[in-house]
Amino acid sequence: MATEAVRLDGVTRRFGAMVALHEAWLKVRHGEFLTLLGPSGCGKTTLLNLIAGFLAADGGEIFIEGALVTATPVWQRDIGMVFQNYALFPHMDVARNVAYGLATRGVNKAEAAQRVAEALALVKLTGMAGRRPRELSGGQQQRVALARALVIRPKVLLLDEPFSALDRNLRGAMQVELKEIQQRLGITTIFVTHDQGEALSMSDRVAVMSAGRIHQVGTPEEVYRRPADRFVAGFVGDVNRLPARLLGREGDTAQVAAGACHFTVPAAPLAGLAPGAAVELFLRPEQLAPAPAGGPALLEGVVVARVYQGDRMELHLEAAGVPGRVLLRLPGHAPGVGEHGSHLAVQAQPQPDAMAFPPTT
Amino acid sequence: MRGRPFLGWFVAPGVLCALGLAAAMAAVLQYAVRAHIPGSLGVGGFTLENFSGMLRPLYASVFLQTVQLCALTALFSLLAGYPLAHALVHARSAAWKSAVLVIAVTPLFLGEVVRTYSWLTVLGNSGFINGALLWLGLIDSPVQLMFTRFGVVLALVHVTLPVMVIMLAAALSHINADYLRAAMSLGAGPVRGFLTVTLPLSMPGILAGTSTAFAWTFSAFATPQMIGGGRVNMVSNLVYQLGFASFNFPFAASLSVVGLALAAAVLALLRLGTARLERLA
Repeated sequence: MATEAVRLDGVTRRFGAMVALHEAWLKVRHGEFLTLLGPSGCGKTTLLNLIAGFLAADGGEIFIEGALVTATPVWQRDIGMVFQNYALFPHMDVARNVAYGLATRGVNKAEAAQRVAEALALVKLTGMAGRRPRELSGGQQQRVALARALVIRPKVLLLDEPFSALDRNLRGAMQVELKEIQQRLGITTIFVTHDQGEALSMSDRVAVMSAGRIHQVGTPEEVYRRPADRFVAGFVGDVNRLPARLLGREGDTAQVAAGACHFTVPAAPLAGLAPGAAVELFLRPEQLAPAPAGGPALLEGVVVARVYQGDRMELHLEAAGVPGRVLLRLPGHAPGVGEHGSHLAVQAQPQPDAMAFPPTT
Repeated sequence: MRGRPFLGWFVAPGVLCALGLAAAMAAVLQYAVRAHIPGSLGVGGFTLENFSGMLRPLYASVFLQTVQLCALTALFSLLAGYPLAHALVHARSAAWKSAVLVIAVTPLFLGEVVRTYSWLTVLGNSGFINGALLWLGLIDSPVQLMFTRFGVVLALVHVTLPVMVIMLAAALSHINADYLRAAMSLGAGPVRGFLTVTLPLSMPGILAGTSTAFAWTFSAFATPQMIGGGRVNMVSNLVYQLGFASFNFPFAASLSVVGLALAAAVLALLRLGTARLERLA
């Protein structure tokens, strides 16, 4: 039994002179929901197409269930794929769409009919078997696409930005439903998205990608609270970048000072910097709070915007010495705090998940 | 017309052309129902004898032959054109695409006479095909290719191919590539994917191309005239013979009218089929 459902060993893909994917190493565990997250052009779709077999690798090897598939054609890889536009066959009704992968596998009619009915029940489309794709709503088409990919019991389910065509409310409902189905079936799933909220809420693990490289693979909490580098820190969630100074290092941690506050941060990203060097301190908006009068302040600024978000209040500050704006996210509606145009002293929450990186040159 | 001061000027040439065509059609129509006076270019009174005369086996067989030749031409241009159109749309290399485009479209740019004469040098008893077969020792005496239905259909396919390829390529290029990718991800190899996805989705293009090829061939004149050499006749050749050899203008006109009606009827039928198909898809 292979230990991984999918394994990539140094897979590289070039388009002409452009390296779309640079030596990707990745292990996807059995039953895991792994998301490839990154901005457009980062190589996440290339990586998915390499696993599916729509693209050939220029270097490296791909394994599915321990079997080498680098040179195996798509139709022999035993994958299920949901396309961004669903790609439902317009000349077939829902039942024939779902049965397509069973027909190619030579499953007999009676068993196929039963499995199609089960798959449609799984995605709550019982009774829709005779409809044409064009007669269905976007959400229903998505369910058919999912049923069609799942009915063949693939070794791995590949999803290429499946929610991008849905409106916001439907997207949320479909995300929950997909996650439920995925957990019930325990199917290994690789999901491509550029939406970091989607990635954090659905995944067991997230692989954050940029410019053809995998920057970090970790649980949503790990990539959010302990980003491996400044790209991951900036791409996953909002972050405040504050000027700070390295005080010293001790084992795995380092001390940095910003304003009148000291922070303990992981030392690894700061390797090679001498005490006293300028660094950038990364703090999430929810880890900042108004400082009590007379207490030590991280920074002081002027409130330039108060944005009400229902469950929270966002304050935008302009502070001397800080490029861009400082963002605070306060729970509730924070009455009387940070009126527009007022001065506000800011401190960090106790034991924040602070990170520091060398400044960009 | 307010706000479009030049509309009248722009439309005028088109209207004039349409009026000219309508006048010509009216002339043909009225000739079709007039009696023929042998030995004279003038015509007699109203009659429907021209139409009943067409039922004679000699003329009826020409109509049948025309429909058969059109059907064969449409069929073989489809069979030859589909792979070309597919290559045109899906070929990876630009060189391949250009080669296919040149092969598919050049017949359009050759004059009808030049194109037909070039077939004489290929199909004649001392032409390229017979010469090659004789040289290889596969045959002892030349095979008759000129003045046969085979030769006529071959030459007609040649001139119909560009239209077919262009129409099929338009249809194929509108099929989203993700359909075939989805089929492949579900376990379909290239052959099954083509038969179950690409081919059915290109059916509207196939019907459009075939009906256009059919109508296009129906009016063929020079090709059957020269390659058929009087032994393979289509309606247009019959019209020519009656009009310019026998000077029987009324009968020639009535043949033209029936030919036009027949072509229109076949096209209407195919169109009905397309509409039904599109409702299904």
